[in-house]
Amino acid sequence: MTQSATAAPTDAAVDVVDVAKNFGAVIALRGVNLTVPAGTLTALLGPNGAGKTTLVRILATLTRPDRGRVRVLGLDVTDDPARVRAKIGLTGQYVGLDEALTGRDNLVLIGRLAGLAHRQARSRAADLAELLGVADALGRPVRTYSGGMRRRLDLAASLMTNPPLIVLDEPTTGLDPASRQQLWEALAGLRAAGTTMLLTTQYLEEADRFADMVHVLSRGVIIASGTPARLKCLVAGRVAEIRLDRPDDAGAAVSVLARKVALTARAEPGSGRLTMPADVGVDTLLSAAAVLRAGGIAIADLGLRQPSLDEAFLALTGAATAAASRDRP
Amino acid sequence: MTALSAVALTEPVTEPRYRLLRDSGLVAGRYLRVLRMNPGRLIYPLVQPIVLLVLFTSVFGKLAVSGHQGSGAYREFLIPGIIIQNAVLTAPIAGLALLRDAGSGLADRFRSLPMSRPAVLIGRLAYDAMLFAIQAMLLIATAFGLGLSVRTGPAGVVAIALIAVVFGASVSVASAWLALMIGDIETAERVMYFPAIALNFVSSAFAPVPYLAAWMQPIARVNPVTAAADLVRSLAAGGAAARPAVMLGCWVLALAVVPGTLAVRRWQSAA
Repeated sequence: MTQSATAAPTDAAVDVVDVAKNFGAVIALRGVNLTVPAGTLTALLGPNGAGKTTLVRILATLTRPDRGRVRVLGLDVTDDPARVRAKIGLTGQYVGLDEALTGRDNLVLIGRLAGLAHRQARSRAADLAELLGVADALGRPVRTYSGGMRRRLDLAASLMTNPPLIVLDEPTTGLDPASRQQLWEALAGLRAAGTTMLLTTQYLEEADRFADMVHVLSRGVIIASGTPARLKCLVAGRVAEIRLDRPDDAGAAVSVLARKVALTARAEPGSGRLTMPADVGVDTLLSAAAVLRAGGIAIADLGLRQPSLDEAFLALTGAATAAASRDRP
Repeated sequence: MTALSAVALTEPVTEPRYRLLRDSGLVAGRYLRVLRMNPGRLIYPLVQPIVLLVLFTSVFGKLAVSGHQGSGAYREFLIPGIIIQNAVLTAPIAGLALLRDAGSGLADRFRSLPMSRPAVLIGRLAYDAMLFAIQAMLLIATAFGLGLSVRTGPAGVVAIALIAVVFGASVSVASAWLALMIGDIETAERVMYFPAIALNFVSSAFAPVPYLAAWMQPIARVNPVTAAADLVRSLAAGGAAARPAVMLGCWVLALAVVPGTLAVRRWQSAA
């Protein structure tokens, strides 16, 4: 095989090298590098318009990259789209089901179009529906389903051929917490079964809890990669936090801290929560508390804690945005 | 829920043979299932042509066409025209259905499946061909009640129905390409019927070509609607069938290949 010389390492299910894509004047991706190791759940995190969906569509052979190479399970998506399609399951941003058909008809149709025999498709549909909790609704038209049921049936549809790689574009968007939980449990079950998954999300706590690896995408480039724990460390080791008794005091507190102990605190609007850079030691935190009390500002709580992934995300994308605006002429 | 591995497929998924035929059949089956669950969708495309046929023949049936004898002459001329113009008016349904699908999540699902690409179009056409066949049978049955006679016998009747089906399907291919080119469903719903109506009027569907305005005549002579209507007339009333048959054959082939290829390509890239 001549392919083996250029094939991606066998432990990479997805290998993206320098991928760029423009839609007219809109630059969606400007040189993305990304590797998804086989058997992992990798999250692609980013604000709206970061390029997440474009990257997912390129992986699923729905969009061609302008530049760069993408390999999915060793196959090039541009040269060999038909064979790539046989190996991936796509759960797109919009549910890929026929609203007028029953859940069962949808699953059987999609399974058969993916290459299953009729009998095979029917039994697989029944099994998946059972596991994803939509078995009772299989005989009903999809238009009568709730949002959560649709999402789970859509996931079942992309699992019909048991593909080794599943690509999910914001699978939990618009779901209530219980439905989101159910979907995540299903995904965790899949990962336990050895399926590789790449998913995009805006819910940072989800990536934090479930993903093995997180890549932060902002304005068409990956600005940070790592385990959720490592990403949090990237921003700062820890965060110092002071919670005020009265949220209205936040403005006054920020100026007192700046004047008296030269601390730059950020006030979370409305919550009375002040956060400070993590290099603040315990002594500084205590003297900050002292000047606030001297200024008549009551403190409810204070301490050092790990930053949330939200804070990491905001810090990272904020830095990228600032850098981008500096670059502008 | 963690037992998903328990339903992992043990048999490998085999690459089915005759993928194009199989997948086209599955796509057509999808539309049939939707129809079975919403049988009301059949009412309009089946009742409207009958109503039009009855109205047209009742209003214009007694007009005389010079060169023909008897008061039923125009009726004999008109009925084949109505059968063919109906196929043209029905064709946009296929294009609009494909366009409605093209922007949906289901289209992305289809595009990401290892299925045959042209099957999406061919399956839809197969479904529409069935619709055209039912329409043609109803129209011909009604037309017999209104005075149509087919001199070539039962074989001629079958041939007329077949012409309506094949011609309708080929215009449907063009409608698929046109709809996917337009891209916007609301625009397409308004725009698509214009070329259909124009094609019908600038043809021999309602009046013999020499009766049309002078500027229309050159267009009407090469119009596929003229070829199809004249061929049906020659089967019903007798007369030279070779010229319209050859012309219709060329048109059907051209419509199937050129807009067909473009429509499939367009479907694949639409997003």
